[in-house]
Amino acid sequence: MSNPALPGRSDLRRALSSNGALLAVIALLILLVLVGAGLNDRFATVSNLTNVFEQSAGLGLVSLGQTLTVLTAGIDLSVGSMMSLISTLASGLIDGDLARAAWVIPAVLVLAAAIGGGNGLLIHWLGVHPLIVTLGTGTVMQGVVLLYSLTPTGAMPFELEWIAYDRFLGLPIGATITVLLFILVALMLRYTTIGRDVYAYGDDPEAARLMGISQRKVLIFVYAMSGFFAGLAGLYLSIRFGIGDPYQGQNYTLASITPVVVGGTMLTGGRGGVIGTLFGVLLVSLLNNLLNFLQVSTHLQLVVQGLIIIAAVSIYIERKRGLA
Amino acid sequence: MSGATQTGAPAFGGEFFARYGIFLFLALLIAGGGLISPSFVSSGNINNMLVQLAPLGIVVIGQAFVIISRGLDLSVASVMATAAVMTSLYTSDNSSAPLIVASALAMALGTGLVNGLLVTKRNVSPFLATLATAIMLQGIRFWMTSGAPSGNIPPLFKQIGAGNLGGVPISLVIFLVIAVVFWVVLHRSAYGRALYIVGGNPIAGRLVGLSSDRVIIIAYVISSTLAATAGLILAGFAGVVDNFVGRGFELDSIVAAVIGGVALSGGRGGIAGAVVGAAILIAIFNLVLLIGAPVQFQIIIKGAVIVLAAAFYIKKSKS
Amino acid sequence: MLALTGIEKSFPGVKALSNVDFEVRAGEVHALVGENGAGKSTLTKIIGGAYTPDGGTITYDGTARRWNDPAAAKAAGIHIIYQEFVLFPHLSVAENIFKGYEKKTAFGLIDHRATRRAAQEVIARLGVRIDVDERAGVLSVADQQMVEIAKALIHDVKLLILDEPTAVLSEPEVELLFDLVRTLRAEGVGVIYISHRLDEIFELCDRVTVLKDGQHVATRPIGETDHDELVSLMVGREIENYFPPNAEAVDMAVPPVLHLRNISVPDRVRNVTLSVQPGEILGLAGLIGAGRTELAHAAFGVLDHDGGEVFVHGQKVDPVSPGAMIKAGVGYVTEDRKGQGLFMNLDVARNVTGASLGEFVSGWMISGRQEIKAAKTEIDNFAIRCRGPLGDVDKLSGGNQQKIIFGRWTRACHAALVLDEPTRGVDVGAKAEIYKIMRNLANEGIGILMISSELQEVVGMSDRVAVMREGRLSGLLEGPDITEENIMHLAAQTDREAA
Repeated sequence: MSNPALPGRSDLRRALSSNGALLAVIALLILLVLVGAGLNDRFATVSNLTNVFEQSAGLGLVSLGQTLTVLTAGIDLSVGSMMSLISTLASGLIDGDLARAAWVIPAVLVLAAAIGGGNGLLIHWLGVHPLIVTLGTGTVMQGVVLLYSLTPTGAMPFELEWIAYDRFLGLPIGATITVLLFILVALMLRYTTIGRDVYAYGDDPEAARLMGISQRKVLIFVYAMSGFFAGLAGLYLSIRFGIGDPYQGQNYTLASITPVVVGGTMLTGGRGGVIGTLFGVLLVSLLNNLLNFLQVSTHLQLVVQGLIIIAAVSIYIERKRGLA
Repeated sequence: MSGATQTGAPAFGGEFFARYGIFLFLALLIAGGGLISPSFVSSGNINNMLVQLAPLGIVVIGQAFVIISRGLDLSVASVMATAAVMTSLYTSDNSSAPLIVASALAMALGTGLVNGLLVTKRNVSPFLATLATAIMLQGIRFWMTSGAPSGNIPPLFKQIGAGNLGGVPISLVIFLVIAVVFWVVLHRSAYGRALYIVGGNPIAGRLVGLSSDRVIIIAYVISSTLAATAGLILAGFAGVVDNFVGRGFELDSIVAAVIGGVALSGGRGGIAGAVVGAAILIAIFNLVLLIGAPVQFQIIIKGAVIVLAAAFYIKKSKS
Repeated sequence: MLALTGIEKSFPGVKALSNVDFEVRAGEVHALVGENGAGKSTLTKIIGGAYTPDGGTITYDGTARRWNDPAAAKAAGIHIIYQEFVLFPHLSVAENIFKGYEKKTAFGLIDHRATRRAAQEVIARLGVRIDVDERAGVLSVADQQMVEIAKALIHDVKLLILDEPTAVLSEPEVELLFDLVRTLRAEGVGVIYISHRLDEIFELCDRVTVLKDGQHVATRPIGETDHDELVSLMVGREIENYFPPNAEAVDMAVPPVLHLRNISVPDRVRNVTLSVQPGEILGLAGLIGAGRTELAHAAFGVLDHDGGEVFVHGQKVDPVSPGAMIKAGVGYVTEDRKGQGLFMNLDVARNVTGASLGEFVSGWMISGRQEIKAAKTEIDNFAIRCRGPLGDVDKLSGGNQQKIIFGRWTRACHAALVLDEPTRGVDVGAKAEIYKIMRNLANEGIGILMISSELQEVVGMSDRVAVMREGRLSGLLEGPDITEENIMHLAAQTDREAA
């Protein structure tokens, strides 16, 4: 039955099949920059590209966490509310005082991870689809943050603004840290047991159970990570704007999913990775930027965003055969 | 296990509660609400709640069709808003009414078809497919209205949205007619049966010769069409249009359906449950305001109810 | 080293094991045989910690154990290679082999290079050529089996359980496996070997235990038993009246009710031509992976096929689709009753009428009353034990569920039925009933194509037997030629047997 192809050929095919999505999104990214450069001479400048990079940090952080939930064939619809909650809470508690920031920031990040872990635990206990569980907990969080404050409140210490605005060797600091976090998570997924278990669970949860992988541990881990990074994104944006906003994350919940699917992570789980998401974030941000340059109305940009999602998910679909 | 239980007689209580618990819950909610705040059960407030129920009820019926097919329709709110802004697109007298209705229905048909085709022919997950069409529709709507819709709604729509017929709100009458018609479609027609079969077990559906793609596409078209209808009613109710008529209806309709026992895994639940789910949601929102709690509690309770309702039905179907 | 006493295990509607004793010594290969559904898989899952027994004791290495998860059993040196593979299709071969036991660097991180190298060593020890970087999902079934075995070999195995390991292996691969098992035995490993192929058992095993209907029948040293005794122990004595009498004579002169011509499915089925005559039961035998189900799927239009034509009553069905086949009068009873057959969300009546809805529709509406009437008829016809037409189907026993499916298809189809493993997961009593139903249908003139992996069933029920091997039709048996040995020979075509 086995019909071994020529080794060289099968290596190439394998490399393409396992990294095809990543290569595709990188190729698209390059194509976009080239096309953009041709269409508008201010687009492909260092300063513009750096700006786009800087502005994509917030989306990058949320999408980073979201990738993990999608790898387990799940989804986290509470990330937007999490951002709003953490940013408003931090801003309100710190109220511009750097000394308070020293304990508030770690505390709210732990809270974010804990709430996220709670999502994972609920999903495991209830056996309810993550979509519903996180929609529910996200809604509760949104209500809670609005109880805390209906309007942007408090202030983030301006001493921290360098994170969001300063450059180091020409690189925006916040965005660079975000990229480093992407690499760190990528290494974690590749080189730690829990990281490999995420892929195994996403590939086949029942097989994972039979292989002795704790489903509960995997679920708590990915949703805690998702919560943590959403919280981090909330903090970053509130530092950038100087104040926490109870509606800050509203548009991020669904926006965080686009880069994940554009980056080649399958909603069915087990395939893809955070590096694809990183390029997905850059692609989406650059595309929006280019459309701005081309003076495409923000309205039509929405249409383009919808088209990207559809294009991305239909490209990566695996063809089904027979009844399966 | 005795021989008798081997034939599969579940405990009477469990099955009863899974099937009718939701109606009991609504009754208890209304009774309890009346005890807490007598004005809750005043005819004015009940009338008020019924007027609110009409658009959500119409949308949840369509959402139920889609969820029974194993799908999800996140585009309903966008469809509602797009239908709503269409009311002010032409002349402001009643002569444009047929044109408005025709364009709204055409838009709904197109959206439903795109959703259904993406889900069936392209294998896109319903969540992403309907999310993408929702975003695109929003873009088209903004572009059409240049960001801020202007113009007036023909009076006919205001009458339908806010008027009464012998003391009964016209929108409620429309809702009830739709509910009855689609109850018959879902529970008594060949299409309804096909929907349950395909939603419950698509492979088995294929093996008995059903065209699952067609069945699913029709469900999305029904959902979009009902959402457009609800959008027109809401626009008439408000009397002015904005780009966000129906905001939040995509999630509220899913929540209502889930509360009402329509399972996201497909093939289970029905119209009555879904409508009662919508009624429960509206009653809770109303009650929160009546007892003077901050409006935020509406949101918190909604979130908690989603998880609890889903968990309730999962536990029931497992036991 | 392992002793089980008085093991009990029930599933909803089925008693899988009752009062089973079983024992394995270190350094022996102990065969476990029995018909499908005899309880072999349940027993191995209990030993491997995937199921917790309802009663009885497990003694392992001299102490009583009670496992409730596979990891604990694994830690104790017990490894199972399941018939259904536990592989992650998108992970590499190396990762699959070392899942949960990855090589680590000094910092506790996974050392992919060392893992890869170790995987290559294990694969080399097995003597097969598999690329450890390949995704497990794209390997051939035989290679996947080898990966499963490799997964056990990386551990200090004390007890190895092989569940039908040779079903998907070719002859040289089987020899490799046997050598490996002999090596392990010499190292003092206890091996539980489950197989339908009795000749393998006589070649490889030291003792044999027979299970039947969830009960322990006998344990014998291999030298003190023979082929015939094992068969009679497995099947029991009621074999004579278990199967209804065959058709008197199949009329080959009339045109076939179902004729498949040159059906091919890429990689699975090659140029198969088959005819089913009215009134006959044509058995379709073969090993797992021989392409029988794929053939049925292609003939029913649910699997793309490269070429070939399907004729019903001499009329070509074109294009082939489930709808067209049902219209022509052919039904397909799937092997996966719960996954592909029943509508678990609907009641008995709606399951019965599912393939013949047109009968109950006038205009747009379905007549519920007519459906219930029809369901009552089928419940009586097939003696379905349920709460009535409005009862749920999910809690019924396998036999009653299968009878509902029969009710569905006999309402809809009057030419031919394709039955894929019609008695899988059905207990013995219900099996006899289903056999009777099948024969009655055939006597009414319906042609039946019965795919079955149970040799007894094929031999006992078929008027003719077609055998498939590696996607091709390898032979057609009639009359007295229909024997287990002949079928096995055509299905496996082992040189060993010929020698």
